[in-house]
Amino acid sequence: MRKKIWREAGASYLLLSPTLFVLLLFIIGPILFAVFLAFHKVQLLGTATFEFVGLDNFKRIAGDLRAKIALWNTIKYVAIVVPCQTILALVLAATLNAGLKGQKWFRIIYFLPTLTSSAVLTLIFMWMYNENGLINHLLEMFGLPTYNWIGDPKMALNAIMMMNIWSTAPFYMVIYLAALQDIPDSLYEAAELDGANSVQKFWYVTVPYLRPVTSFVVVMGLIGTFQLFDQSYIFSGGSGGPNNSTLTVVLLIYQYAFKTLGTMGYAAALAVALAIIILVATLLQRKFSKEESLY
Amino acid sequence: MKLKKWVAAAGVTSMLFGSALAGCSNGEEKTAGKANEGAKDEKVEVTLAGWGGNPTEQKLLQQTLDEFEKKHPNIKVKYEVISDQYMDVIKTRLVGGEGPDVFYLDAFEAPALIKTGVLEPLDHYVTDDFDINDFEKPLLDAFKGEDGKIYGFPKDYSTLALFYNKKMFQEAGLEVPKTWDELREAAKKLTKGKKVYGFGVAPELARLYYIAESKGGKVVTDNKASFADPKVVEALQPIVDMHLKDKSAAQPSEVGAGWGGEMFGQGKAAMVIEGNWAIPFLKDTFPNLEYGTAEVPTIDGKKATMAYTVAYVMNKQSKKKKAAWELISFLTGKEGMKIWTSKGLALPTRKSVAAELGFDKDELRGPIVAGASYATVWQNGTNLPTITNNFNNQFVSAFLGQRSLADALKEAQETANKEIEGNK
Repeated sequence: MRKKIWREAGASYLLLSPTLFVLLLFIIGPILFAVFLAFHKVQLLGTATFEFVGLDNFKRIAGDLRAKIALWNTIKYVAIVVPCQTILALVLAATLNAGLKGQKWFRIIYFLPTLTSSAVLTLIFMWMYNENGLINHLLEMFGLPTYNWIGDPKMALNAIMMMNIWSTAPFYMVIYLAALQDIPDSLYEAAELDGANSVQKFWYVTVPYLRPVTSFVVVMGLIGTFQLFDQSYIFSGGSGGPNNSTLTVVLLIYQYAFKTLGTMGYAAALAVALAIIILVATLLQRKFSKEESLY
Repeated sequence: MKLKKWVAAAGVTSMLFGSALAGCSNGEEKTAGKANEGAKDEKVEVTLAGWGGNPTEQKLLQQTLDEFEKKHPNIKVKYEVISDQYMDVIKTRLVGGEGPDVFYLDAFEAPALIKTGVLEPLDHYVTDDFDINDFEKPLLDAFKGEDGKIYGFPKDYSTLALFYNKKMFQEAGLEVPKTWDELREAAKKLTKGKKVYGFGVAPELARLYYIAESKGGKVVTDNKASFADPKVVEALQPIVDMHLKDKSAAQPSEVGAGWGGEMFGQGKAAMVIEGNWAIPFLKDTFPNLEYGTAEVPTIDGKKATMAYTVAYVMNKQSKKKKAAWELISFLTGKEGMKIWTSKGLALPTRKSVAAELGFDKDELRGPIVAGASYATVWQNGTNLPTITNNFNNQFVSAFLGQRSLADALKEAQETANKEIEGNK
C-alpha cells in the first residue's frame, strides 16, 4: 500500500519536475533571494559581500525623499489610469458589440496598439509629443495652448498617462468583449419588455453582469500600473526627470539596483515594499467588489 | 501523506538541481582547460567591449585592431559593442564573472569602479617604451586610484568649445563673444522669438560644472554635494536668467531637438557649447551649415572649460592578462593612438601624437585642443554620479522658472547627501 502511494506520487512529481524546476529556479528562487537581499547591505562588484543589517533598508525608505516622490507619482498614475482605462475599455467593448457595420474591423484596429511593443510606442509618442510634433500642431490648429510635453515637469507624467490609457484600454476591451458575448439575450429582452432604453439596458444589465470581469480588469490594471517602468524610463532616459516628475517606484528600484554601486539591498527592500503595497491595494479592491455583489 | 509527497518532491528536485549544477561545473572546467591550452600554442582571444560610435569611428577602430592583430599574430581581438546602458551592462557582466578582458571606462564612472577592486592596476605592466609621461597629466590622473596606482590609460578626450553660426553672426553684425557678458548680449541680439534662440544650453551638471565653480564655489566637497553654496548659485544664475528673463537661451527639447548639436545644426540656436563629437555629426547631418568654433568665453577674465575622457581598462578577473595588456598598450601607445585619432574624430591624449597630427592648428578643432591646458576633467570622487543625478533633476525646475535656483539647489543638495549617507 505504502509503496503504491510512493510510486504514484513519485511518478507524478517526476512528470511535474521540469515545470517545478523552472518555477523554483526562475520565480520562487529569485523571490526568496530578493527578500534575503532586502535585509542585507550588498556589494556585488569585486568581492561580493552580504552584511546583515536587519530592518535598516526599510527604515531608510521612510527618510528617502526620492522614494516618497516616486510613490506619490506612482499612486497618482494608478489613481488616474486604472479608472480611465477600465471605463474606456467597457465603453469601447459595448459599442463594438452593439452590431455596428464593420465592427470586426474596428475591433482589429482598436486592438492594434496593444500588439505594439511598449518601447516602440513610447518612442513614437515621444516623437508626437515633441515641441514641434503632431500633438502640438493639432492643438495649435484648434487654437489650444501647446505644451513642452517631455521637458516640462508638470506635463511629463500626464503625457505618459495618456499614452498608456490609449495603449492598454484595448487589451481590456477584448476581455470585456468576450464577456459581453456571454450575456444572455433573454436579459435584454426582459429589460425591453419592462420598457428600458439602451442607456438603462447598459447600466442595469450589462454593467452588473460584467462585475466579475471588471474586478479582474481592475486588479490586473492595478498590478500593471503600479509596475510602470519602461515608459517613464524611455521618456526620461532613465533619470526620472525632469525634476523627478516621471520617477516611479520601479524606476527608482532600477536606479538603486544597477546605477549606484552597493545599493542592491536597498533596491530589494523597495521592491518588497512595492509588492506589499500592490497586495494591499488588490485586497482592498477585492473587499469592495465583494461587498457590492452581495445585494 | 502530505509530508511524504513533499519529501518526494524535494528529493526529485534536489536531484535535478544537483545534476544540472554538476553539468554546469563540468562544462566550465572544460572550457577553462581549453583556454589554458590555447595560451600555449593556439591563438588567444581577447574580448574588447565598448560603446559603438558612428560608422567612420567603427571603421577606424577596426583598422587599429587589424593593425594590432597583424603585429601580434597569436592574439585575436573580439570586439563587442554595447550600444545602450553601457555601464549597467558592464557592471552586471562583471558581477557575473563574464566581464570583457578590456573595456572602455568613462572618467566620470572611474573612481567608483576602481574602488570596488574589479580593475587590474596597470603600473607593473608599463615599460619605458610605453612612455607614460607622454600622456596629458590631468587626463591620466583621472584614472588613478586612491592608492596612487593607474587603472586605465586614456584613449582620447574632448573639451568644450563655443560653436557659432557664421551666417547669423554676419546678419546681426556681431563679433564672436570673448566673455560671458558679451555672449549674453550677443544671444539677445541673435534671438528671433521662439524660432531661433541665441544660445542653446544643456541644463546638466556635466556641461555646467566649470561655470558653477567659476565664482569660487565648489560643487563637490569631501565627496559630498556642496552646490547650494551661494557662490555656485551666483555663478549659475545668469544661465537661468538668460532663459527666463532675456528669453535668449533654450534647452534642445524646447525646440524639439535631441541635443545641442542637433539644435545648432537645425538653425534653432545661433550658439551652443559642444565638444569635438559635434564636428563629425554636423559634417554628416548638416553639410551646408557654415559655422566656426572658438574657445569658451571667459568668466571674470578666467578661461574655463570641461574635458571628458575615456580610458581602456583591464578586468581583474581576466584570464588573459598578458594579451590584454598587449592590446591596451598598443591602443594607447603612440602607434595605435595615431591610427585611432588620425581623422580627428577623437583627440589624442599623448602629447607626441597630438604634435604630430597637428590638430591644434585645425580651424575647427584648434579651440577644442587649446582648452585642454585649462579644462576641468569631468570627474570628482565616487559620488559624482549620485550628485549629478540630483543636480540635473532639480536644476531643470529652476531653469523652467518653477522655483528659485537657490531653493532648487538646496533641496537637490540635501537629497543627494542623504542618498550618499544612506549608501555608506
